[in-house]
Amino acid sequence: MKRTNEFAQMIGSLDRKERPVDPISKPSGPGEQESGPKRPETDSPSRDNLMKRMRKVDPKQAEKYRQRTGE
Amino acid sequence: MNPIRLFGIETEYGIAREDSETADPVMESMELVRAYLDGHFTRRWDYRGEHPHEDQRGFRVTELAQDKEEDLFAEQDAHRPFSFHEMKSDLVLPNGARFYNDHTHPEYSTPECRSIKDLVAHDRAGERILWMAAQRRNAVLGGRVVQLYKNNTDFHGHSYGCHDNYLVSRSINFESLVRGLLPFLVSRQVIAGAGKVGREAQERGFTPGGFQISQRADFMETELSVDTMHNRPILNTRDEPHANPERYRRLHLILGDANMCEYATALKIGTTRVVLDMIAEGFVPSFDLASPVHAIQAISQDPNLKTVVSREKGGTISGLDIQREYVQQARLVLKDIDEETDWILREWEQVIHQLEQDPLQLVGKIDWVTKRWLLNSFVQDEGIGWDDPWLASLDLEYHNLDPERGLFFGLEAEGRTTSISQEEDIQKAMKYGPLDTRGGLRGLCVQRFGEDITSIQWEGVHFNGKKGKLHLDLMDHLEPVSVAHCRSVLEDAKTPLDMIESITVRK
Repeated sequence: MKRTNEFAQMIGSLDRKERPVDPISKPSGPGEQESGPKRPETDSPSRDNLMKRMRKVDPKQAEKYRQRTGE
Repeated sequence: MNPIRLFGIETEYGIAREDSETADPVMESMELVRAYLDGHFTRRWDYRGEHPHEDQRGFRVTELAQDKEEDLFAEQDAHRPFSFHEMKSDLVLPNGARFYNDHTHPEYSTPECRSIKDLVAHDRAGERILWMAAQRRNAVLGGRVVQLYKNNTDFHGHSYGCHDNYLVSRSINFESLVRGLLPFLVSRQVIAGAGKVGREAQERGFTPGGFQISQRADFMETELSVDTMHNRPILNTRDEPHANPERYRRLHLILGDANMCEYATALKIGTTRVVLDMIAEGFVPSFDLASPVHAIQAISQDPNLKTVVSREKGGTISGLDIQREYVQQARLVLKDIDEETDWILREWEQVIHQLEQDPLQLVGKIDWVTKRWLLNSFVQDEGIGWDDPWLASLDLEYHNLDPERGLFFGLEAEGRTTSISQEEDIQKAMKYGPLDTRGGLRGLCVQRFGEDITSIQWEGVHFNGKKGKLHLDLMDHLEPVSVAHCRSVLEDAKTPLDMIESITVRK
């Protein structure tokens, strides 16, 4: 999906893929309630991308992260 | 039946400057908010509607547990070349939202919404607006150094909130609200928890190891309290309705986690709204919990959902079974009321079933399930233990608003999350408030007569008119019909005076 809005320009490569669950629509027929997200394919290429993203995280990031108490 | 449905979410974001260990969080939060402005900041927020010492139980407290800490912060902040209100930098945006610096956290409060779908879109719009502000701030700083986190903990014992708010009829007495809500709220985390590695204690630090369902459960210390920063309650008793106090309460819930999954946000708010409708119909649960504070923490600490907690009059019950009792009762009381309620009931039942049978089906829908799956994959791949400090960093990064770094956004980009709102809904929510609430009216005032506004808050707007000061009272614009009338006047008026006179004539 191509977008031309300001946010899409800023975030560049992110493409928001939508699988809408409309909170005001009724089921279209038997079995629809079984159509949730499928069990993640644990050996798919996209999982590798996620693992790459995770490996880039600084192991000490949380240690360095300090906030004041909020509400 | 609860006559008017209105709700909203306030989210305090975590903020970090990655290029400096000595950055001042007050200034960073202020600069972030101001970065969203095209021009200079002008103080317009009217604080007179805020009454944090008023208690729904019918009294006013003389001080809050946080007052001493607030005084200390005020002393520390006094050296800065800004007044307290300048540091807060309150903005009201053209979509009716409030965006400001609250306790060193950038906070985004959605406009009041009447539908779950609108609220989810406005919650996501808030993420986008915060990230846009960070991008602008980073452009000034010359690098991607300001990072924002939609989470609730710093893994050192400091928590910040994501509060959900509901307009409730004052005719429902507060004791009935408490009795009806407490078991539900204690167990709501099985649907709406954002997940967290390790354990924490208020300002006493972090203990690594394990995974729990909720970010906030560790910080719940009592059942009922007007406090929000210390002695945090499962059910906050602040009496600050932002509406006619004789007719309405505002239920201000501070126990919830900030959700990344749209579906979790929809169910968190949707199921709570349904339970409020049930209570309005006279529902009381068949049991009370012996120790709600112990229960909320015990349920959180068992992501396998087997833990049972004690009922006050004997016996035990699991978090899932508490939720099941509520949804079964809701089916009896509220079935076929309207399409949104039917959607909530159907999805609520389905989630309970899936949590029991095969939680992995909820990856991309429920945050704690999603985060647990991600971290578990990483633990297995890297051969590390659950007490490895890397996991807290990954937990934090799940909530990063940077689309190129955030782990949730990584999942979303790969189509593994379930959306409630379409991209166009979010884009629209960044610019406009809901058509059918006073939040939209507030936003319209900012769009049309922003330069004439002298003060603004939830309940009304003051303008400078050619013939003197003018006031648009939003206190009673809660019904859709009233909102529609006011909107048509606002859209047609050429000046604030035109608008006020037309509304007065119509009244």
